[in-house]
Amino acid sequence: MSPLVKIEGLRKSFGDLQILNGIDLEVERGEVVSIIGPSGSGKTTILRCLNLLERPSGGLIEVDGQVLCSEDAAGKMGFASKREIRKVREELGMVFQRFNLFPHMTALENVIEAPMAVKGVKRKQAESTAHELLESVGLSHRADHYPLQMSGGQQQRVAIARALAMDPAVMLFDEVTSSVDPELAGEILLVMKNLAQQGMTMIVVTHEMGFAADVSDRVLFIDHGLVVEQGDARRVLDEPQHDRTKAFLHAVLERAPMESDLDAGDDRVGFHVALDGQGGPTGQEVSEAGSEPDELARLAAENERLRRELDGARRQLDRPEAGT
Amino acid sequence: MDWNFIGEIAPTILEGLWITLSLFAWSMLFSTILGLMLALMRLSQIAPLRWFSIGFGWFFRGVPLLLLLFYAFFALPELGDTFLLSPFRAAVLGLSLWTAAYQSEAFRSGIIAVDSGQFEAAEALGMTKLHSMRKIVLPQAARIIIPPFMGNAINTMKQTSLATVITVPEMTLLAQRIISNEFKAVEPLFTLALIYLALTSVLVIAQFGLERTFRLKV
Repeated sequence: MSPLVKIEGLRKSFGDLQILNGIDLEVERGEVVSIIGPSGSGKTTILRCLNLLERPSGGLIEVDGQVLCSEDAAGKMGFASKREIRKVREELGMVFQRFNLFPHMTALENVIEAPMAVKGVKRKQAESTAHELLESVGLSHRADHYPLQMSGGQQQRVAIARALAMDPAVMLFDEVTSSVDPELAGEILLVMKNLAQQGMTMIVVTHEMGFAADVSDRVLFIDHGLVVEQGDARRVLDEPQHDRTKAFLHAVLERAPMESDLDAGDDRVGFHVALDGQGGPTGQEVSEAGSEPDELARLAAENERLRRELDGARRQLDRPEAGT
Repeated sequence: MDWNFIGEIAPTILEGLWITLSLFAWSMLFSTILGLMLALMRLSQIAPLRWFSIGFGWFFRGVPLLLLLFYAFFALPELGDTFLLSPFRAAVLGLSLWTAAYQSEAFRSGIIAVDSGQFEAAEALGMTKLHSMRKIVLPQAARIIIPPFMGNAINTMKQTSLATVITVPEMTLLAQRIISNEFKAVEPLFTLALIYLALTSVLVIAQFGLERTFRLKV
């Protein structure tokens, strides 16, 4: 079967600034691919080109057999019609770094708007689906709240529900934890992890190395608009082959990840790699929290862990836009 | 000031109230539609539409309204009999074009103030441009549009008085007649000012209401 997402030789420049220099990426159904790399490396641009929020300067993009853009022999770009592009966008659920919820609508209205407007779903049906989705992201009690009445973590979970409401084939996550307080990142990552476990195809641009290691099947390391290294998540993150990958991982994690971290804890909680070893919850404590049926306790433990991970990463990472 | 005289002339001046209100209502209707279209043209990716919108704003904001009214009433008929407008219609035409030039900038400022991420989110969900403009962008832009929009509305309300010069029998013309018939200026002018203040006050109150309606729920 052909890959669900196929990107070949993708190039994008803004004026003289070359952002993508020929990216190749194929994503199979059910696969979770994480894209990591330094700030400005072009990770986000790949996602934005994929649903044509940015128009690629060159290369081919194909989603589920539908060609979105391609280059002819003379190097001239051809694009699918507006209608075809909209059709493909229905299959690509996008979650943004800054949520981009519609602030004049409640959480529920945010989730039902597109299915009703684009797919012609009846309001009653849309609402019942939306309630299920909000429940699946742990926010059924927030259905009637407006975005500005919610925390960043809650808003981002609503945004995930909104994207899922279109029943997409692929979910695109663009640094979705980067604009929330560190202690709230865990609740978002948990939702994403559940999605991955349900078999959702996902392309995740992220700075969360723990998440990348634990959840993704494959990791791409991007630098200067090129795929420097890719492969099995654990292998790329534990035994990077290229110097640039090593340098990046070293900068992001306070120290290079060690085998012992990977072995600790159970798979259910995960996020092994980036524990900074400064007296945070032990693997044992977190494992216990993980098996605790109470959702809140589990979230709290995850949050604490991820907060530490992120604190470490933020200190190390040269990321001027961090926290915006 | 002769208060009894005010009591005598007020009904006469108020006979023009209906025409003043009609001038205002028609001008607001046309200028709002035209202003929104001009704003969308200005933001369009089609260059000639942008140029038209820029040119329109440049011209109709750059020429005195008084001159526009003279043109609409005295100069247009030179083009042919179909352009021979009644004073009322000529006034509505001039006021509409003039107000639209200002309203288009009010609309545009509101639309560009909406975070581009809103458009992107709507696009990414597969919505058409029209739908995302109507349901996502404009409702949010409304909050930002209201103050300058209502400012322009208040201006237009007052500028209906200029229709006097092309013989539209609205309140200002009636007040002027009283002045020239009775040789008394203070009372008619005072009465007129009070009525305009009352009308613009209604608009100010309407603005409070609109701003509350479109306030974001925090």
